Amino acid sequence: MPSSPPRSEATDEELMEAYIDGDEAAFRLLFERYGPQLLRLTRRHLRDDELAEEIVQQTFFRLHGARNDFRRGSKLRPWVMTIAMNLVREHWRRKKRRKMTTLEVDTQAAPESDFMPLELRQRSELLHVALDKLPTSQREVVELHWFQERPYAEVAEIVGTSEGAVRVRAHRAYATLKQLLVSEISGDE
Amino acid sequence: MSSDNNRPDAGLGERLRKLDASQTPRNAEMMDRMFREMKARCDKSDRSLAGFLRSRSTLARRLIALTVLASLAIIGWFAFPLVGEQGRTLQWMVSLVAFCILLLISMFMVTRPVHLPALPRWQSVCLVCIAVGATVLAAFWPLPAAQAATHDHGSGIIAGACMGAGLLLGVPVYALLRLIDRGNALGSLVAAAAAGVAGNFVLKAHCAVPGTSHELLGHASVAIVFVLGLGLVHRWIPSK
Repeated sequence: MPSSPPRSEATDEELMEAYIDGDEAAFRLLFERYGPQLLRLTRRHLRDDELAEEIVQQTFFRLHGARNDFRRGSKLRPWVMTIAMNLVREHWRRKKRRKMTTLEVDTQAAPESDFMPLELRQRSELLHVALDKLPTSQREVVELHWFQERPYAEVAEIVGTSEGAVRVRAHRAYATLKQLLVSEISGDE
Repeated sequence: MSSDNNRPDAGLGERLRKLDASQTPRNAEMMDRMFREMKARCDKSDRSLAGFLRSRSTLARRLIALTVLASLAIIGWFAFPLVGEQGRTLQWMVSLVAFCILLLISMFMVTRPVHLPALPRWQSVCLVCIAVGATVLAAFWPLPAAQAATHDHGSGIIAGACMGAGLLLGVPVYALLRLIDRGNALGSLVAAAAAGVAGNFVLKAHCAVPGTSHELLGHASVAIVFVLGLGLVHRWIPSK
């Protein structure tokens, strides 16, 4: 066990190292830091609260299993994001394989409708519709670059491609989103 | 938001920010429940053999796999008679080396760390096809009849016995690879192909029955049964 308890100002990497050394509280702190971010990420992708929660839990379960691979000097954030994105991709692959019907997708599409005010629901729906129109590879880049605020180099590391390819995907994705959402902006105003 | 260049322009940025406002933060109670559930799963996993093996470092998992595979190969190599001296042709050697290489690649794929981007599916599918293809190809390089031990060539029973032995020998390899797999996509199928290849390795090294038909029915069928069997199982009974 480490000599001092994990502090809230400790870096992610320090917390991870403390957890590897057996400090359970450090793992909880990491969960509190990354859990909400990952929930937003998975909800945007999956539009299913229950599934999003499951994937966040699975991400940390895998992080726990892979903890002995973590090396001092490594950055934790790309680890967590990569695990989560792999799980999301795997989920879609399985869904596709099972040839899920449109009806099933629609049933899962708005689980939070009971809890969300109408205006927010409409905004959220608009964003989902626009993001749904992007190819998965572009959507992942927008998710990580815009919503998770990660630099291109890190996005490239997470999605497993070159920085140049990520920039191209981002450029195309933002152009498509602008096209899709600009008409909505004009419509609102 | 991001400090990178190539960001969306101000209009789109503002629009995205506004639309994403609906993503309300989750309450502490829910996060606490999620953490408790997840931690319980971690603790349960740690108490199992699979959990113990999967939580070893990638280097350790690969060393464990290599040690077990090498031990099995060495024991098998010396415990049972190899094909006759004259039967150890260049093609025979090439087949064995190719099977070893395929086993190694499978093991590396299955033990790929989960914090790296998942390999594209086509790579796993390619490996599985190559593994099955290699076992079929090896069947067309059978022991020369004149150089092999005498057997009842026409008997399907012998082919069945080889197939049974190959399937049995592949099971520990499949189990080992599943135990050290942290959940790679198509990991089960790759492990099935590896099990088929391992079974073929042993059969090729020890079986002295000559003839392509025997090798197709008794040896190559092992890989096909493993891949098709487990592929179908996972198609109809998908894992969680």
